[in-house]
Amino acid sequence: MTTSAAPPTVLGDLSREDLLDAYRVMRTIREFEERLHVEFATGDIPGFVHLYAGEEAIAAGICANLRPDDWVGSTHRGHGHAIAKGCDVKAMMKEIYGKRGGLCKGKGGSMHIADFDLGMLGANGIVGGAPPLICGVGLSAKMRGTDQVGVAFVGDGGSNQGTFLESLNLAAVWNLPVLFVVENNGYAESTSSRYHQKGIDVAKRADGFGLPGVIVDGHDFFAVYEAAREAVRRARAGGGPTLLECKVSRYYGHFEGDQQTYRAPNEVEHIRQTRDCLTRFAERVTTTGVITRDELDAIDRDVRALIDDAVREAKAAPDPDLADLVTDVYVTY
Amino acid sequence: MPATVGVIANPASGRDIRRLVSGASVFDNAEKGRMIYRLLVGLGAVGVEQVLLMPAGAGLGESLERNLRAHHTDPHPPRLPALTTLDMPLHDGPEDSALATRLLVEAGVAAIVVLGGDGTHRVVATHCGDTPLCTLSTGTNNAFPQLREATIAGLATGFLATGQVAPERALRQEARLTVQVEGATPREELALVDVALSTDPWIGSRALWRAEAITEVIVAFAQPGAVGLSGTAALVDPLPRGAGEALYLRLADPATAPLVVHAPLAPGLILPVGVAEWRRIAPGQAVPLTPALGCLALDGEREIELTPADRATVWLRSDGPRTIDVDAVMAHAAAHGLLRAGRLPQAAQGVE
Repeated sequence: MTTSAAPPTVLGDLSREDLLDAYRVMRTIREFEERLHVEFATGDIPGFVHLYAGEEAIAAGICANLRPDDWVGSTHRGHGHAIAKGCDVKAMMKEIYGKRGGLCKGKGGSMHIADFDLGMLGANGIVGGAPPLICGVGLSAKMRGTDQVGVAFVGDGGSNQGTFLESLNLAAVWNLPVLFVVENNGYAESTSSRYHQKGIDVAKRADGFGLPGVIVDGHDFFAVYEAAREAVRRARAGGGPTLLECKVSRYYGHFEGDQQTYRAPNEVEHIRQTRDCLTRFAERVTTTGVITRDELDAIDRDVRALIDDAVREAKAAPDPDLADLVTDVYVTY
Repeated sequence: MPATVGVIANPASGRDIRRLVSGASVFDNAEKGRMIYRLLVGLGAVGVEQVLLMPAGAGLGESLERNLRAHHTDPHPPRLPALTTLDMPLHDGPEDSALATRLLVEAGVAAIVVLGGDGTHRVVATHCGDTPLCTLSTGTNNAFPQLREATIAGLATGFLATGQVAPERALRQEARLTVQVEGATPREELALVDVALSTDPWIGSRALWRAEAITEVIVAFAQPGAVGLSGTAALVDPLPRGAGEALYLRLADPATAPLVVHAPLAPGLILPVGVAEWRRIAPGQAVPLTPALGCLALDGEREIELTPADRATVWLRSDGPRTIDVDAVMAHAAAHGLLRAGRLPQAAQGVE
């Protein structure tokens, strides 16, 4: 290859369209979360929100390897997973505002965003809640003989829950087509992993259950994408579960309003400047000439307009009324 | 200064994607802790008085601690050196090993024992200067450090540190590869075993495991018994460590290449590798790599992302780190009766 060659149209096995999609997903998550950070402070949003900003490369890198009929089980920090799995951003925003027209009709809020039609099993207020659910998904796929896979996201705090370790065991025993993705952002709520976790690497816990445990840089879309590609391929082929630990940082507190006195001064600023996933991704795709800066700027504008509309429509949407109170609550079998 | 040895054990080595794609080994931190204990026994037996240790986190320190507690309950415990942990912050990254190396060199240790893979050794070698290294592999995927019993490594390092075996006999001068990249982000790096140009367009999950992605390779030595690029190159032209030359290979599609070798590219992975050309490289001879969109891998890990505008050049240099030749030291010790009764320093025999 020489410098005079035409710009490449692919990066590895990713086409221009794949790369633009990945950037759009990450930018949408970032813009969604940055906007919520501002809007939450106004007091208009009921309940808690836990922002995913900083961790976008994980959701995007994992979900780029998934099909619409694959399943994702999420965490309390679930907006990024929902967006990457294809959930409607405007309906998500309405859900967070508790409005009719929300993805769960405005009755679930941030921590219960779900869309079963898209394989999004839901954000989950239970720490370590997704791994047992995903074992069920995996068993279902295995018994029905499909090649669907399930992905359970969990944090470093969640990785200390019995549910997580029991699920590693169950997935290994049943050889399930699942991934356990640990988003290790270094804090269980406000407790540093140095205090809450034995050993710095959650991935090593896979050894005890006989499944592969791999660590990647969670700020790097390509690192996550590549490892997930192999883990998903392995799961679809009957090779069983994988534990994938993504080392990452969150840009905001555990929840909005968290004063973060447990973090070092300038900790977040340093990460934003040196390891931001969007900056790194943009630099690689533009310096290689596959994508132009103008194309990325156009996505930035589209996304900003989308989030503006989503917030405006969410604010204007009606609340659920009294008649909605008990719908979808009771089920007759 | 009492006979002092430094120890750096990387608590995070060995978790890349090869565990997923080729069944590569995992190495438990508790075993690293036990290795340090056995190392201390070896060092103490020949009279090393002090060991300075990089803070050992992630279950490694606890494992060592358990062994030390058990040691204290032994009615006739082997003599151990005094153990001091370096006072330094930890960031759980390669910068920890780099800082620990600088602190140990400043402290004037006689040698540094390194527990880790090729990557950890590359970081230590970048900062250790003339301080000799005893290299211990914590995994099967390494070419530079050796898989070897820590007790024996402790004895050999101790013989050097206490002056019982002279440096001329104990040490081996290693070569190194210097990589210079000119372009938007100029940088210079060191590799101890190999430099490879990969068409992988990103650092990604770091490991090299797809033969078809590797286009050019330079190895500082080509060991037929090694796994990875050094072992692969050895199937073309074996080049012993310390031969004073490097080996350059240009790879090609096995379907059309004039030479195809079945190479152990990673643990659990033997693949056909096509070789278009190869040649020996003299020290100081510049080897420009073909400009390409891809990555430079150093010692088996993708480290530097390249664009076609970047210019990467590799040189072999003979001033790599000095390492302890454990077999040579132990052969000398045996031949000269250094471990026969009455020959060790009295303190080392437990006769205070």
